[in-house]
Amino acid sequence: MNKILTLIKREYKESVYKKSFIIMTILMPLLMIGLSVVPALLMELKTEKTVKLHVIDQSGLIFKDLEKSLSDTLGNGQKRYRLTLIPSNPQNENTISSEEKRMIQKDKIGALIIIPAAVIDSGSVRFFSRNVANLDLNRRLRSAIGRILSRQRAEKLGLDPQLITRVTQPVKLKTIKISKSGKESERGFIEEYFGTFVFVLILYMTLILYGTSIMRSIVQEKSSRIIEALLSGANPFQLMAGKVIGQGAVGLTQYLLWAIFGIALVLYGGNFMPVSSKFFNFTPQIFIYFIVFYILGYFVFSVLYAAIGALSNTDQEAQQLSFPVVFLLIIPLMLIGFIVKNPDSGLAVILSLIPFFSPIIMFARINLTSPPFFEIFTAIALLVLTIFLLIWIVAKIYRVGILMYGKRPSLPEIIRWMRYK
Amino acid sequence: MAILEVEKISKSFGALKAVNEVSFSVEQGHIYGLLGPNGAGKTTAIRMIMNILIPDAGRIALFGQNMNDRLKNKIGYLPEERGVYPKMKVLDLLVFMGELHGLSAKSAAEEAGVWLERFELSSRAENKVEELSKGNQQKLQFISTIIHNPELIILDEPFSGLDPVNVNVLREIMLNIKEQGKAIIFSTHVMEAAEKLCDEILMINNGLKVLDGPLTDIQNRHGKNSFHLEYRGNGEALKQLSGVRRLNDFGNYAEIQLQDGVSANAFLKQIVDQVEIIGLQTRKSSLNEIFIELAGGGNDHE
Repeated sequence: MNKILTLIKREYKESVYKKSFIIMTILMPLLMIGLSVVPALLMELKTEKTVKLHVIDQSGLIFKDLEKSLSDTLGNGQKRYRLTLIPSNPQNENTISSEEKRMIQKDKIGALIIIPAAVIDSGSVRFFSRNVANLDLNRRLRSAIGRILSRQRAEKLGLDPQLITRVTQPVKLKTIKISKSGKESERGFIEEYFGTFVFVLILYMTLILYGTSIMRSIVQEKSSRIIEALLSGANPFQLMAGKVIGQGAVGLTQYLLWAIFGIALVLYGGNFMPVSSKFFNFTPQIFIYFIVFYILGYFVFSVLYAAIGALSNTDQEAQQLSFPVVFLLIIPLMLIGFIVKNPDSGLAVILSLIPFFSPIIMFARINLTSPPFFEIFTAIALLVLTIFLLIWIVAKIYRVGILMYGKRPSLPEIIRWMRYK
Repeated sequence: MAILEVEKISKSFGALKAVNEVSFSVEQGHIYGLLGPNGAGKTTAIRMIMNILIPDAGRIALFGQNMNDRLKNKIGYLPEERGVYPKMKVLDLLVFMGELHGLSAKSAAEEAGVWLERFELSSRAENKVEELSKGNQQKLQFISTIIHNPELIILDEPFSGLDPVNVNVLREIMLNIKEQGKAIIFSTHVMEAAEKLCDEILMINNGLKVLDGPLTDIQNRHGKNSFHLEYRGNGEALKQLSGVRRLNDFGNYAEIQLQDGVSANAFLKQIVDQVEIIGLQTRKSSLNEIFIELAGGGNDHE
């Protein structure tokens, strides 16, 4: 035990004083600030310029009401949309519309809307713009024109205008999340996705980061031929344990530093970062689960990376061999979008129990919904079991691998190693 | 007293029998030479003693106990593959290695100070290991081998890469350790070095023990003791003496080869009564010659 402690101490000291550790520790919070400031800035950017809209209203029924319903203003008090009616008749229609289209090309106007004479019946309106993907404007136009049209149609049928107003009253949908404890919070897909993704990304990045650093330091010890000198005092299992636990402690130190920074950000950063509190709004349980799943995931992947380090002679070789392990981490990352949408679907539940995926996916599910406790417990139990199994297998590979130089062993050779006394 | 007993250990890697039923024992206060060409199985044998490799068969006992990891603290092992942590500070590395062999951090630092002084490296204690010359790194490694004051010291090719001055320093320390009643296993393929230092020899080749025993016995048994004798007197008398294998008499100069097991001293006692000795040169076969004779010359040693 003392030997493992000695090895942990050395590993920890060396890594914590390393430049890469200090750089990562500082860079990550900057990234966090970036992640919380950029969406805020983007929202600010939305309120920048009046959009000029030209309307050819051949029906003569729509324009007035449309101008009224698009009357919202920008932050500076100006109108967000300035609508101009372009008079036209069936004779000059083609010339006018081609002239208008040229103006769009030259960016003189934002968009051209052509409302045909028979709009009440056909309900079809044409929209010309350099950017037809402006979701906000498209949605506004569709719902505004739609409402005007239904009103007109209803009037034509002779309904009472007041009744019409009540019938066409727009719906406002507010999404409110209710957690198990009954706490309600106003969150939508973006917040859920974003908040979960930040945590999952941190998990993914740190698992790869620390796994790779274990792998590289083993390759380095092999190539600097110090392993045998270490074996004169300790056994291979102690070396592996020292390495894995030492690097794990380094990772927890880094988390601790980030957490301190994060708490400071939430406490004092609210003024200049209005969105951060909206996205980083988590209960202490989430943090505890985060640490639990980080530690468990860390053991699974660090042990795998340790095996790769022991099997390789050079960094390049190790890089190649580590590809399948990285893949195990990328799969859950790619599935996060699906999990956010269907956190309680059968597939999500199964994925969140598979040991190699569960650190990320089960954690994401805990973050999104409140999975039954026995599911969380099963995921953790399976992870612990996997860790012990992996340690048992890898210790056998490690023992032989660290003293092997030269050709990379084949799979049958590795299996033979495991049978060595 | 035998502190290490090795009984018929064997180790195979696939079809290769690296070590094949080798036995020997090491006593306190001796320097034990483990000799053989590269690839003979020396390092494999040492790794089994160190419990780094587990023998396929046989038994290893240290201080009467079957070898286990807890006994590693009583052994100091300098592997042939020299390695250090290049980014660590000299003193930190020594303290780490001391702690890894069961010392407390405090006593490891004290021991490290003493040894750095002795190797004239005190001024480099706060330097990074990579800033040291290759030779100094070797010295550092030697210190890390013996910092925990082990009872048994195993040195695998300790002189390789050292300059003559440091070879002498190291040799003195080895003799010093021997005088303190500790045991040293000195593994090398350079027979001349072993000849000068060792009391006991174990020679292996292709994993098999070729020969072992006290160095002088081996040389008496296998060495072809020969003399070049310059003399005045009756040369005929020399021919009558017992223990002579071959005699070339040139009148006042003779080349004499003794039979196996006849010591030079015993022979000289006989001839001082017969002739007047002017000059005498004894020539013993070197371990190298003995090895080549026994191993049939089929080896690649330098």
